[in-house]
Order: sequence, then C-alpha cells, then structure tokens
Amino acid sequence: MVKADGDAFPVPPAQELARLVQAVAARGDREAFAALFRHFGPRLKTFFMRGSMSSGLAEDLVQETMLSVWRKASYYDPARAGAGTWVFTIARNLRIDHLRRQRNPADLPSDPPVMPPSLEEELIGVEREERVREALAGLSAEQQAIIRLSYYSEKSQSEIAGELGIPLGTVKSRTRLAMNRLRALLEDET
Amino acid sequence: MTISHHPTDETLLRYAAGTLATGPRIVLEAHIAGCKACRARVAEFEALGGAVLEDTEPTPLAASALADVLALIDAGEPRTSTTAQPHKPAEIDGVRLPDAFRGCDIGRWRWIGPGMHMSRVRVPQDPDANIIMLKVGPGRALPDHGHVGTEFTYILSGSYTDRLGQFRPGDIAEVDEDVEHQPIVDPDQECICIAAMEGRMRFNGFIGRMLQPIFGI
Repeated sequence: MVKADGDAFPVPPAQELARLVQAVAARGDREAFAALFRHFGPRLKTFFMRGSMSSGLAEDLVQETMLSVWRKASYYDPARAGAGTWVFTIARNLRIDHLRRQRNPADLPSDPPVMPPSLEEELIGVEREERVREALAGLSAEQQAIIRLSYYSEKSQSEIAGELGIPLGTVKSRTRLAMNRLRALLEDET
Repeated sequence: MTISHHPTDETLLRYAAGTLATGPRIVLEAHIAGCKACRARVAEFEALGGAVLEDTEPTPLAASALADVLALIDAGEPRTSTTAQPHKPAEIDGVRLPDAFRGCDIGRWRWIGPGMHMSRVRVPQDPDANIIMLKVGPGRALPDHGHVGTEFTYILSGSYTDRLGQFRPGDIAEVDEDVEHQPIVDPDQECICIAAMEGRMRFNGFIGRMLQPIFGI
C-alpha cells in the first residue's frame, strides 16, 4: 500500500507528473494517483491555508481537489499545460466555489466555463511553462513573495499593508514594480 | 472587433489567481473571451500559479487523507462539480449577451434620466455581485459617479470617449478610484456597456438621487 507522507519521496520532474495524470486517465492507475496525492496534497494544503483557511477546511479542499484530479484526469492535455498548472486551476475553481457557497449556503456548486484552446495556444503550452518559471526565478526574493501572496490570498493591498505595517502606497508601488519586472522577463523570452 | 483597451496585468493575474470578486470576474471574462492577447496573458498567469503551487512547501496531511479520497473514489459518489445545469444565454432587447453572462438575470431597462437607461444584472450564484448595464444616448454623458474600488466597464455596443481614449465594443475600461473621468457617448449611436465594481458605487447629483432608491446603493 502507498504512504501518504511526501518527505520520503523526491520531487518528481514535470514530465513525470504529466505521465502520472495520464496513467490515472488511461487505466485508473491508483499507484500513479497516490504519487500525485503525495506530491500535490501537502502543497495544496499549504496553498489553501495561506489564503486564511483553517487546517481542517484546507484538508477538505485538498480532498475535493484530488477527487477532481481523479475524475477529470482524461481532460488533462499535457501539450497545453503542466500538471502543476492544471491542478492549480482545479484548486482555484474549487476555492472560488467554496467561498461563494459560504456566502450562499443553498447554492449548488458549478464549474466556471472552460475555454477550449485554439490550436496555436496549445502548441505554445509547454514552452510557456518553462518561460514562466524562468521569469519567476528572475525576480528578487521580495518580488517573488509579493507575487506568491497574490495567488494565496484575496486580501486587498490595503489589508496587506496593514499586516506588514507598511504604507499602502509602498505595497502598491512594490506590486507594480514586481509586475513590471515580471512582464519584462516574460516578454524578453518570447 | 478591434480591441484597443485591456485590463492591467495586475488584474489579469488576479483573474487567473481566482481572487477577483464575482462581478469584475464576469465582466473581465466577456473581454477575455474575445481578446487573444489577454487569453495568452491569463494562460501565463495560470502557469505562474502552477509554479507557485509547486514551490509551496508541503504541510503534512492527516494520516488517513489518501485512504479517505480512495474510499470516496470507490464509493463512486455522484460527480458534484460538473452536474451544474447548463445556463441559458442572457439577453436584453433580444440582443444576446456574451457567454460570460450565461445564467445571469437581466432586469428590464429602467429610465433613469434623459437618454439614459439602466438595468441591474443579477448573478444567481452570487447575489452580492454588483453588475449594472447602462444604455446611454448619442452625445450624452454617462452618469456622474464615484467608486471606492476599481471599476471595470465592458463595451457591448456603440462607443464612448473620455480622456483615456475611445472605447469600442470588446474593450474594457479599468478605472481606479483615484482617476477622474467623464465618458461621453460618441455622436453616431447609443452606447450599451456593462460595469462591475469591487467596492460600493456612489452616484452624484440628480441621477444619483434617482438611482439610490432603485438600487439601494
């Protein structure tokens, strides 16, 4: 049987993760699913907790996300996006749904529409993954932190300013600088 | 459709991160669906989200977490996330709205001033979403209003001009709270646009007094 803790296992490279999702899609491969679970589960938990969710709620959303990974594996297209990007979009959509249901408990979950990629968009998918990772690595540690924060949390810039004890103007200008740098790096490599 | 005004990168990142409020998200979706450049940007920011997730340090899960999910898989629970009913396309005056507005309730046009009508767009999944449609006659000014957060306006038909430029169908105007602007509809035809804001909206002057009781804002 497979173990649920991630520490004993090395981080699989991107191609390996994509192959694992495809194995789940092709033959309901549970070993492959367990490997994906070990890799993404604990990271997803941190990801949700950084967005101010309790540990218990984060675990619930990890389960929902991984269940979707199992059920939707056949929709995954490795030419279009890396496995990490695909899992991220599933987690993001479930978080949007969850926050909405919190406000409107009677409402049923729904999936935001998925736009089919144009052929051209598909072709550049793999190359895009590498370009974006290089751009992120090219940012200073502080700029990386600002970009990460905007993925974790819905906090507005003014809340972030209050939390960090720095003026709102400083948060705004740092965010703008980080975005400008990111844009320059992304366009550089196009 | 020639698109010349786009959302900022900061906003597209928040769209891809899933942290925008429902109203702005839907209005942006209308633009993005018709804008190849912004679709490519969003794909990049989604890939960036993937990179951020992969770099996030792990937090141990409950010991039974994997077994619990495998049990759910074995139980073959009905799929919850894809059984949502297909939404009807939204229309007003027989004009079909972009797919982003599928399932929304479009109120009827209400007269709010000379050459000016407004309709409230309700999102059934999120009653808090703040979206309005405006139909303004040729040569007229859009309602004078302030807003506490960023405002996003998608142009559906016609065009208007303000000091930020001319806005045509498919364009999106992203306007910060600290930007002063007064859009005037171009003289050739009426302009229909859909606006959503992050904060509350406050109307000024005569139109404002007309709107407060109608919209309770």
